[in-house]
Parts: sequence; C-alpha cells; structure tokens
Amino acid sequence: MSLQTIKELLEASLTPSPTVIILGLAFCLVAPILLHFLYSTATPYTTLPSVLLLGPPGAGKTALTTLFERGPQDPSTVSGPIAKTHTSQVPSSIELSINSDDPATSYKTNLDEEGATAKKFLLVDTPGHPKLRAQSLVHLSSAEPTIKSSLVSDGGAKSKIKAVVFMVDAAALADGDALPATAEYLYDVLLTLQKRFHSRNGSRAPASMPVLVAANKLDLFTALPAALVKSSLEAELGRIRAARSKGLLDSGVGQDDLAAGEEGDWLGGDGSEKFSFAQMMEFDVDVDVIGGSVTGDGPGAEKWWKWIGERV
Amino acid sequence: MLDTFEILTTSGVVLWSRTYASVSPTVVNNFITDVFIEEKSSVAGAKNGASAAENPPYKHDQHTLRWTFEKELGIIFVAVYRSLLHISWIDKLVDNIRAIFVGLYRDELTKPNTTIVECLTFDQYFDQQLRELEQAGGKSDTRALKNEVLSEDTGDEPPSPPNLTRGQQAPRGVSPGSSPNVSRPGTPSASHLLVAKAGPVAKMSRRARKMQNTTSAPASSGDEGPARKAKAKPVKRGRKWDADGLADEDDGVQLDYSVHTLASDSEVEAGARPGAVEEVDASTWGSQAKGKFVLRDLGDEVSSILADADAKKNAATKTDAPSGLVGTGLSAIGGLFRNVVGGKVLTKQDLDKAMKGMEEHLLKKNVAREAAVRLCEGVEKELVGVKTGSFESINARIQKAMEASLTKMLTPTSSLDLLREIDAITSPSATSLRKARPYVMSIVGVNGVGKSTNLSKICFFLLQNKYKVLIAAGDTFRSGAVEQLAVHVRNLKELTAREGGQVELYQKGYGKDAATVAKDAVAYAAQEGFNVVLIDTAGRRHNDQRLMSSLEKFAKFAQPDKILMVGEALVGTDSVAQARNFNAAFGSGRSLDGFIISKCDTVGDMVGTLVSIVHATNVPVLFVGVGQHYSDLRNFSVKWAVEKLLSSA
Repeated sequence: MSLQTIKELLEASLTPSPTVIILGLAFCLVAPILLHFLYSTATPYTTLPSVLLLGPPGAGKTALTTLFERGPQDPSTVSGPIAKTHTSQVPSSIELSINSDDPATSYKTNLDEEGATAKKFLLVDTPGHPKLRAQSLVHLSSAEPTIKSSLVSDGGAKSKIKAVVFMVDAAALADGDALPATAEYLYDVLLTLQKRFHSRNGSRAPASMPVLVAANKLDLFTALPAALVKSSLEAELGRIRAARSKGLLDSGVGQDDLAAGEEGDWLGGDGSEKFSFAQMMEFDVDVDVIGGSVTGDGPGAEKWWKWIGERV
Repeated sequence: MLDTFEILTTSGVVLWSRTYASVSPTVVNNFITDVFIEEKSSVAGAKNGASAAENPPYKHDQHTLRWTFEKELGIIFVAVYRSLLHISWIDKLVDNIRAIFVGLYRDELTKPNTTIVECLTFDQYFDQQLRELEQAGGKSDTRALKNEVLSEDTGDEPPSPPNLTRGQQAPRGVSPGSSPNVSRPGTPSASHLLVAKAGPVAKMSRRARKMQNTTSAPASSGDEGPARKAKAKPVKRGRKWDADGLADEDDGVQLDYSVHTLASDSEVEAGARPGAVEEVDASTWGSQAKGKFVLRDLGDEVSSILADADAKKNAATKTDAPSGLVGTGLSAIGGLFRNVVGGKVLTKQDLDKAMKGMEEHLLKKNVAREAAVRLCEGVEKELVGVKTGSFESINARIQKAMEASLTKMLTPTSSLDLLREIDAITSPSATSLRKARPYVMSIVGVNGVGKSTNLSKICFFLLQNKYKVLIAAGDTFRSGAVEQLAVHVRNLKELTAREGGQVELYQKGYGKDAATVAKDAVAYAAQEGFNVVLIDTAGRRHNDQRLMSSLEKFAKFAQPDKILMVGEALVGTDSVAQARNFNAAFGSGRSLDGFIISKCDTVGDMVGTLVSIVHATNVPVLFVGVGQHYSDLRNFSVKWAVEKLLSSA
C-alpha cells in the first residue's frame, strides 16, 4: 500500500461524509450492546448468598453437606440419608433452599411440595487438611467476603459469604491431640475475621459475620456437650493467644512494623486475661456454639439448620 | 479377593461403592492425604487419565490400593484388596469401571452445586465387569478345574430372548481366546466372592433350579473340553455390521435365538452341533448369573462404552491434522485474542513455553532443579484443560497456580507451636498418665552452617519465656566447640539474668562418645529439674557414611523429642541431598522433625533452599535465621516465602 492510498483513506475517514458518520454511530451504539451480551451470558444475574463450612479434617463437614442436600430428596433416588465421605481435597458447593417465612422448618421438608416460599443459598464445603486451609481463609480476609459461586469452573460469579459454620468433632476433643489442632484452626479463622474488621475502608463498617461452632458427633457416648466444647475451646484459644504473644516473630516482619504486627495478632479484647467468644462481639463476630450430630440417634442437625436459616 | 471398590470425588463424597469385606475408612483417607494432598510418594500426584497400571499401588496396613484419577471431573476410582493376594485383572477392572462410569454419568457429574449423582443402577455394570474379568483372568490358571466347575454351573438361568439389534458380540469379554462364560474359575479366591453374595440358589428361578437338578448336560463329561473349545472358536469371531445393522457376512451362526429358547431348552440345536450347543449359546447370551440375572444388553452396552473410550483415546493420541490454511489462521488469531481476553482452554503447547520461563525463574531463586521440575510439572498437570478467567493471561494463571502449589508444599501438616509442646511434656495435664520430664531437642547439620549459633538463638528464645535450659555439648570432636558453647552460655546468662531464665552448660570435654554424653545430659537434666535440654552435635558431611551412622545411635540414646536440622540458605542443589541423607540417618523409626534455615539475610530473595529441602523430605521448616543477634530467629511464614519466591525483582 502506497503512502498515497493511506493518505486518501485517512482523509476519507476524517471528512464528515454520511457514510463515516453512520459507521461511527453504528459502532458507538452496537459496541456497548455487544459487550453487555458478552458479559451477561458469562455471569448469571443473581448470585446466591453463601455459607462457608470450615473445620478440621474428620469433623463431618462433607457429611453435613450431603445430609442437608439429601434431606429433601426422595429416599429412593439416593443411596441413604448421607453419603459416605472421605478426606476432601477441593471445596465444593451445594445449592440449598430454606423456608424464608419460617426458618425453623426442617431441612427434610421438600419446599416445592409444601408450596412455601424458598430462599436459596449455597453451602460451601471446604477441605480441612492443614495444607489446604490457606485457600479457605483467603475468602474471609476481605472486608466484604465473597467466594466464587461455582468453584469448579473459573469465571463464576462471586457470592457473598453470609455466615461461617465451624465444625468440631466433639468426641475427639475429649482427648488431648485434637483440641490444640482444632483450636489453632479456629484461632486463625477468628483472627482473619478480626483483621477484616480493621481493614475497613472509609466509614462503612464491614458486615457482621456470624460464626457457628457446630459441635458434631454428640450421638457418641464420649462426646463433650456443647457447653463443655465451648469452655474448652475458649480455654485453648486463650492459651494459643498467650503462646503466640510470647512466641517468635514471623519471618518477614521487619523492625519497623513491629508495633503493628503485635497489635494485629492479639485475638479478642485487649488486656483481658481469659479469652471468651463474647470478646469477639467487639469486632462484629458473633460466635454461637450449638451441639448436634450428622449421623446416629443424637440431637440431629435441625438446630444448625435453623441457625443458618436465620442468618441467610 | 477384592475388599472394596469406591468411586469418590475430590470433594470427598463417595458416589458409589461396593464392599465385600469391610475396610476401615482410614485406609482410603490416608491414601488421599498421602498421595493427593501431601504427595509423599515420589511419582505421586494426580496424573490425569493414567491407567491404574501406571499409578503406583498404594500400600497401607495389609491393604493395597489400585487407583486411577479422572482429573476433568475430579473423580477417583479406588480398588482395595489384601496385599497378600495377587489379582492380575485389578488394573483392568479399575480402568474399565472408570471408562464405563464416566461414559454413563458424565452429564450428571458436571452439574454445578450438587453432590448427588444418581448411580444406583451402576451395581449391575460393576457386577458384569467383575465377572467378565474374573473369568478372563481366572481362566489361565484354572483350566484343569474347568470341567468340574462347569458341571455345577450349566444349570443357570434360562436366557432372555437376545435383542437382535444390539446383539453385537462383546469384543472384550467373550473374545475367542476366553473361555465360555459359564466356566467360573475354581480358585479359592473366586469362591470367596461367591460366598459374599447372598444366597445364589435362593435367587434362582424355579426353572433354573429344576435344571440344576437334572444336570446331565453334555458339557460335563471330561473328554469334550477341547472339542468344545474348537467349536466355539469360529462362532465367537467378531461380526461386522453394515450401516443397516445387518451382518455383512454369514458366519454360520444363527442370531435369532428366540426361536430355540421357546422350544425345549437345549435339544433343538443339538442336531447341528452336538455337545457344543449349550456352551456356545450360553456364552453369547452373556447371562451369567451367580444368583443374579443380568440382561444381555448390559454386556453390550458396557462393551460399546469401552470401545468408545478406547476409540477416543486413540483419536487423542493421533495429532489432528490442521484443517487447511484458513482454519489454522483463524484459530491462531482466535488464540491470540483469547490470550489477552481470557477464556482460553489451556493446552500443553500453550503452557510449555510459559512453564519453561517459570522453571527458569525458580532456578534463579536457588531452587534445586529437581524441586523446580516437580513443581512445574505439578502446575502444568493442574492447568492443562483449564479455562483462563476473563482478562487473565496464561502467565498470570500460572503465577496463581504456582503460588497455590508452593503454599501447599510449604505449609506444615501439623501445628508447630514449640512452646506448647514443651509445656505438654514438662508439665503434663493430670488426665494424661505421663510423668513430667525435660523436653529434649537436638540440632544436627553439615559443618559450618550455624548449628551452635542457632542453638543459642533458640536458647535465648526459651530463656525469655522463663524456661530452665540445659545445653549439652555434644560436639566432642572439633577443638574449641565446647569453649564456643561456654561463651554463648555466659552471654545468655548475662542477657537473661533479669528476666528469670536459667541456663547451664553440660560438658564432658573432648573425645567422649557424643551419644553417651547426650544421654547423661538428659539424665542430669531430669534430676536437676531442667525444662529443656538442647543438644549440640558435631557437624558432619552428609555423604560420609561413617559419620552419619553414629546419628542412629545418638537418636536411640538421647531420645530427642525434636531433631532439627540446620541448613544454609546459601547452599544450592546440594540441599536436597543433605536433607535426604540426614532425614534417613536416624534409623527406620525416626526422622527429622524440622528445619532451621540459617543465613537467610545473606541471600535476599533467593530463598529457594527452603523449597528444595521441603520437597526432598516433606519435613516442615520451623525457624529462619535472619541475622547475627540472639533475637534474629524468626518463625517461618509461608506467605513471606512464597512472596519472595515469586517476586520478579
């Protein structure tokens, strides 16, 4: 293409001829519409709120997930009230619906048949293995915690986390080793939520984040009752808090941000000797401890369901 | 025989399972943690689509697990059996089940936000496969037993009228080489399986029972065995079908068996092919029943699914020819566009170049080649077939995946709270029946990496927390080693006198056996009420067998609660060998408990040694030394390390 033709083309495109105007107008009108369709097809319009399910491995997170999901199903189509489960490696989410008029409705009732108005939400089950925890905690750290609604494929819409359920194996807590491990994870979760409170931008306070400590496996003889689970967890969290304040600094913490680092790692209210979940209220983190059981003839999971129903 | 077969998702839900003998769920849980999460075995990792034979079997507590993994759908297929047994067809079973399951339920498996897959009907497919493979596998070693087995088996269910349109011969199961379906292997293992199934006789139809009573089937006589085989051969040749669904050659076999089945059971065909009739027919019906009736259709369906899967695999291996110049041009432009905008499905070719860059980057950060290659391979495996997000470039995606994979690798499996552990040992709770004793920690490493320095740093930290510490001079070899520790102890005493810590040196001079000195020190500490014993050891070259062998005795004598190895951040590729040799030096029952990486302040961003040693041993890093002072010891923070490793400054 010679210089001459380029020049001609430039001239033609800059002269206010009707073709150029029409082409320009058409582009201006069509491009936004095209872009809109491109994006609207990629992301669904409505995103469901979600409830994050955390906890150490073996607490019964996946079992609870399958219990809630299979609850309203016709028993003939599924293999049982819950599925057999093994250690999870990836998070998974399920869609559940709750009776929006009466949260106390059992998770077993099929809302479609009842004709009740259903409110849908996602229950996100996370792996509890220590190596995989970091991925779950990342979701909680921002001021407005969100999570990808469809974790399987990238590009899903972000869904707002409304509540956190922390599953605990109440039967294992009775003996030594499980309690520190569980408390450590819970400490990290609460600390992340606390830091989130400080990280607010502007005058808008971050939304409060209710946490349910679900003491599972109460159907077992050796399980601690919910009140005891609460007190032993609080005691252990207090011990961890004390140990961390005495412990070594993390690598990467420079001399200049020493003061800030110490401030941020103290869980709960300042200066108090004993830790209690009530101290977390200061940071808009509301902790409840409720007992229940996924399997067996124990108290069942209805109370947890009710708690979740009231929060979403 | 087979104990359990399970199909489970990566999110932990068992989709389908069959149990013959109950296996503790911990077996499968340990398998998942070791192979998928912690990647303990060297060839581990989730290889997509690798057949069960390629995946190394996982052994745990008398059980062997054969497995295969379908990455795209996130499904693991596991077969569990006793390690004592040798089951030759198990790989085949796992692979076939995978092909069938994925073929049948692909749509359901890709549904978002649900864990339910309705696969209650999968039982029959599994039974069919299991039987088929058992026969094929059992045939070779049970030829002698065949005849007597046959005699009790001929009285099975009457066949259903075969469906002509789908009556294609199963290409696998009833291949010419395999014995007729009725011959069940007579191995004890096979009969074990039989027992597991509930009452075969009870489930048989009346007709079948009658037949069993009158078992005078011609096949039962011994001399007919070879003859039958010879006859069976031409019949079982695979038929070819044309487009209309008709056999394109007349191979002399009557397909429409319904006529004969209506007539009295076995006499009609007997005229044409005496003796062989019943056998041949029975095998084509495919309705082998161990007390359970399986439709002929099922076998065909299964075989067609398997054939499909095979065909797909073959097609995939062939490189697809470019579809003309225009086609490639368009796809190239589309690819470039998607590179920028995102939404591109990553292929191996796309990743190759970027992964090379990433590997280079890691090598520059002083990561040993071995570890870098493993990390990159892991990330590549994870990313092939993944769609990039909107406006996400390939490099950004790789960066993200590498960050996740580094975090996963460096994060320890259990809590590393040293103070808590010391408290648990020195002042055990009333409920546990242990006696209070001093907490013993020892430090090993190559010469000159800073063992004594880091020991003093740890000591300073413990003294600040008001523990009573005894330092044992276990280096009885190098001149000046004891005096060096004495200086440290004097300094530490002065530094912490006001804070209430107490420290003493236990030394026996030079030339003594280090293990004995350590043992005596622990005994002395228990007597005098010390909380913690820190044992220094002589530096040794990791490839000197003579020096390393004394470590085993040392571990046995001193019984340390924690053995820490000091590694330099400066060292390069050798760190892998160092960590491996030291980890293996304490005998079979003991390994390292943690690493201290010293001299981190001297390397800047190049903290690759961290990755190399964790890669080599799966032992976590506890502390990081960042300076010359007693207070320059830091807890290892995974986030910090990952940031440094990925920073491109």
